[in-house]
Amino acid sequence: MAESLVDVLLKGSSGQNTRGLLKVIILVTISAAAVSSRLFSVIRFESIIHEFDPWFNFRATKYLVQNGFYDFWDWFDDRTWHPLGRVTGGTLYPGLMVTSGVIYHILRFLTIPVDIRNICVLLAPGFSGLTALAMYLLTNEMSSSPSAGLLAAAFMGITPGYISRSVAGSYDNEAIAIFLLVFTFFLWIKAVKIGSIMWGALTALFYGYMVSAWGGYVFITNLIPLHVFVLLCMGRYSSRLYISYTTWYALGTLASMQIPFVGFLPIRNSDHMSALGVFGLLQLVAFAEFVRGFIPGKQFQRLLTASIILTAGLAFVGLVVLTMSGVIAPWSGRFYSLWDTGYAKIHIPIIASVSEHQPTAWPSFFFDLNFLIWLFPAGVYMCFRDLKDEHVFVIIYSVLASYFAGVMVRLMLTLTPIVCVAAALVLSYILDTYLKITPGPVTRGNLEVDTSSGLRSARNPEVGITSYFSKAATTSSIIVYLLLFVAHCTWVTSNAYSSPSVVLASRMPDGSQFIIDDYREAYYWLRQNTPANAKIMSWWDYGYQIGGMADRPTLVDNNTWNNTHIATVGKAMSSREEVSYPILRQHDVDYVLVVFGGLLGYSGDDINKFLWMVRIAEGIWPDEVKERDFFTARGEYRVDDQATPTMRNSLMYKMSYHNYNKLFPMGQATDRVRGAKLPAESPQLSTLEEAFTSENWIIRIYKVKDLDNFGRDHSNAVAFDKGNKRKKANKKKGARILRSE
Amino acid sequence: MRWCPSLMLFGFLAAVNALSSSGNRLLVVLEDAAEKGLYSTLWGDLEARGYNLIFDSPKNEQLSLFELGDRAYDHVLVLPPKSKGFGPSLSPKNLVDFINSDGNVLLALSGKSTTPSAISSLLLEFDIHLPTDRSSIAVDHFNYDTISASEKHDVLVLERPDKLRPDTKDFFGGEGVLAIPSASPHTLGDTSLLAPILRASTTAYSYNPKEDAGSVEDVFATGSQLALVSALQARNSARFTLLGSVESLQDKWFSATVKTPGGKEVKTANQEFAKQLTAWTFKETGVLNVGKIEHHLAKDDLTVEDLNPTIYRVKNETVFSIEISEYAYDKYIPFEVPANDALQLEFTMLSPFHRLNLTPVKQTENSTIFGTQFTVPDQHGIFSFRVNYKRPFLTNIEEKHEVTVRHYAHNEYPRSWKISGGWVWIAGLWSVIGGFLAFVVVWLYSAPTSAEGQRKQTQ
Repeated sequence: MAESLVDVLLKGSSGQNTRGLLKVIILVTISAAAVSSRLFSVIRFESIIHEFDPWFNFRATKYLVQNGFYDFWDWFDDRTWHPLGRVTGGTLYPGLMVTSGVIYHILRFLTIPVDIRNICVLLAPGFSGLTALAMYLLTNEMSSSPSAGLLAAAFMGITPGYISRSVAGSYDNEAIAIFLLVFTFFLWIKAVKIGSIMWGALTALFYGYMVSAWGGYVFITNLIPLHVFVLLCMGRYSSRLYISYTTWYALGTLASMQIPFVGFLPIRNSDHMSALGVFGLLQLVAFAEFVRGFIPGKQFQRLLTASIILTAGLAFVGLVVLTMSGVIAPWSGRFYSLWDTGYAKIHIPIIASVSEHQPTAWPSFFFDLNFLIWLFPAGVYMCFRDLKDEHVFVIIYSVLASYFAGVMVRLMLTLTPIVCVAAALVLSYILDTYLKITPGPVTRGNLEVDTSSGLRSARNPEVGITSYFSKAATTSSIIVYLLLFVAHCTWVTSNAYSSPSVVLASRMPDGSQFIIDDYREAYYWLRQNTPANAKIMSWWDYGYQIGGMADRPTLVDNNTWNNTHIATVGKAMSSREEVSYPILRQHDVDYVLVVFGGLLGYSGDDINKFLWMVRIAEGIWPDEVKERDFFTARGEYRVDDQATPTMRNSLMYKMSYHNYNKLFPMGQATDRVRGAKLPAESPQLSTLEEAFTSENWIIRIYKVKDLDNFGRDHSNAVAFDKGNKRKKANKKKGARILRSE
Repeated sequence: MRWCPSLMLFGFLAAVNALSSSGNRLLVVLEDAAEKGLYSTLWGDLEARGYNLIFDSPKNEQLSLFELGDRAYDHVLVLPPKSKGFGPSLSPKNLVDFINSDGNVLLALSGKSTTPSAISSLLLEFDIHLPTDRSSIAVDHFNYDTISASEKHDVLVLERPDKLRPDTKDFFGGEGVLAIPSASPHTLGDTSLLAPILRASTTAYSYNPKEDAGSVEDVFATGSQLALVSALQARNSARFTLLGSVESLQDKWFSATVKTPGGKEVKTANQEFAKQLTAWTFKETGVLNVGKIEHHLAKDDLTVEDLNPTIYRVKNETVFSIEISEYAYDKYIPFEVPANDALQLEFTMLSPFHRLNLTPVKQTENSTIFGTQFTVPDQHGIFSFRVNYKRPFLTNIEEKHEVTVRHYAHNEYPRSWKISGGWVWIAGLWSVIGGFLAFVVVWLYSAPTSAEGQRKQTQ
């Protein structure tokens, strides 16, 4: 009876319905798993925005929700980059904020009052569920097997490479951009396959959304033309290709130009020139195809060669002339650093100083992708087996994304989708081969009429696995791998990617959890105890957090467009007090905030980042700040009593270690990050005074003193306050200084 | 809340009595009570001007400049000590704290006694230098009083001081000569907070009478580098005046007649000068007060909401005005900028983008309103209106008002059809759209007939 029930459910039209239902249920489950596996941090800590950039996005979203879209569009933010301010509305990708704003207003319309913070926190998990669905659609286009899409969706749902950027609270552009990336690619494949203007236009629409959401849209801008170009080179020109590409390019470029931050870049920037070039090439090829219908073969060949050489030459000369004359912007530094990994360190230290711009260490491939990484090449190989247009796309994407992921850690994110696709293709093939319970050898080709050639054995090949043992062995090992994958993903997500980094967690000796909440303690101190207009100087890493949590104007923040301004802060931090003080005064700085991990052994502190400040400052003032001066004669970077005088007189060093020795018995002060024993006496600060130090000394805040009331040096004033008698200044040294009015 | 009216009444009474703009509690530090009589005219003058004089000895243990962390007096007049120092209540630290909390100090020295080293080191903090022996006096062999100091030449007879610079106000000038007996001279460092009120004449020099040598070899300073009366106005506008000769305040010299070699006998103007000096030090003169500061867009119909906006746009036309009054002995009068000077407004972000002279626009009964109009520079950012007016003998004006200058909003640019250069492109755009529509129309109406024609042919 059960047998027949299964038969009823799985065969015929009701079988299709059953499969459809099952697919829906599986996809919903996958989405639910994708969302729930990202909630570790909310459950462990609280519903809080993570890290650095999300704090800016959160602040911008709040502004959008409070002031409406047009005010957001024209937003001039006077609380960052003091005193320059930031034309924020025109220098951000608004997609993320607008998305959460729209969700917020829809929920309000449905009379569901939800705090905007909760929408922001949960946006990334929500969109990761959608990404899984988009992944299902994309992979389905690649394979005829029904299981490939589901596998890819499941992989995408839980792979750490994507979770790393989309846990709850990680309210960053990537949160929605990866969904848009995958979905745009799906639409593009669909458009190429069908050759329909509608799908091409939909691609352009989602491409426009992608442009509004993330700077990584350039990846699409270059990948799709490359796909078209490769197809053209393979001689696969078709009207489908022409229709989909021209539709996408024309509409997509127009859509992308609507974003103020992008503006005219698509026609003026080198990064976008390949799309334009391929667009032109496609017109030429289409024209050539058209002409071929009228002219006999040999003449046509000659005409074609001549015209191709001519146009290519003209186009190249035009490009060079336009670039030389400055109409087309040259390649940006970030682009160069993609090809030459050492470029950024020499020319643009600001880019190299970001940890996520470092080259990837090889274990992180396994860490982020687990067994997918070794299925990935097999999947690419599978694409070569039936090389349709969409498979060419997978291959190109794989090659490019693999390279980029090797250059920069953060580009692991763009590699992840294609790895999921490729791995799903392989795995579904294996499962299809081994999991089917067929009674005997499947014979293929016996229905074909073609018997004119070939060997007899090849004419009637026996393909398929018949042994139940090998089926069971392979299937079970695959299942073990899958289970291990799930276990690995859960473990990585829970341990590596679910820390808000605003709140640190550590273990006490007895195993209980110890929450270190110094960041918020200090930011709330600033919020409560300083005037609303007090300017806070800190290294740029903390700019967004100060803006978001302390609501105070900052000098520099994580939007690193103004290298000079950042270098100014670097110079103030790395110079002597006498040099720094005028800089602080000129920029109206009221408080200086430093992060110091020496007491707790927190290694991400400012002394460890200090060399970047020095390097960035040296890039602008090579005569005044020299990196060499911060190293000892033997080339060591030290903070103990062997430290160089430049190091010990730098503002950063003084602020970090000011009064630190008072925590320890005489002469026992140790820095637990660098394992260094500190000099017995504390550095003396005269132009700043300590205002606040957090519980674990992670954040130290200093107040900048006003000018001395009697026009003295601060060091003299401090000495006077301590009761030291001043020595006579001009004691018969050189000519007498005469006073004249 | 019953104490409120009484407090206000007390405040009014105080305002009526006190002629100084910053209170009337004046502590006179006098070591020897017997000497009080020597200065009776001065005390009388001060009391007549509304000061509440409190005499105390530095030896008094109870003496303190502060009470419960607050200033106990508004002004201090310190007469030179007989003994080696002032004791703990008048230590340099306390005096500096007193000035830091807006108290004014008039410190008188005398060439007859050695200046305590504590005073010397206090003065050193202010960049005022005394001779190293701390007991020198100023001597002049050309401008001395032949009546009282024909031998020692230590009573200097000087003209009343002129303006310090052409662009400053004159608070100490007038007719007559001053007699400065046995003055302890000092020199001034090169800081802008210090200003000499009375300099010695070019022929004067510093001389230590206790040294037996008939000639001076290593002279401390000579000529007009020697200052006899100097003023320090701290950044918080508290005033410290150093008077080299306490004797010049004595009754004896208020009414004395002096005669320079080859000159006529004249009566001294010491009393008038002492009045000017104490009035300035205790903030009866040279005190500027900033009233309303207004800035707004330059337009005709202004409402209250339009005043002092926090945000401007680039290239806005902006009006700024500041109301300043000056205190003169007993009332506020309209402030007038000295002839060669200018009151300036800076519109600053990191460095000034505009530095404009403020001109008097309006004068009220006791204040002048200065104003100017300018165009906000084409640079967005956080700017500030700054009026930074620091002149010798006038209290500091340092006003800083932050405003944000934003960029053009998206709807503040002219529309495309208003830009004549864009007409070509607009024409191109519409001609393409029109052409496409025309093509569609032609296509739709011509295609089926040809198809039918073909079908007919095949039939």
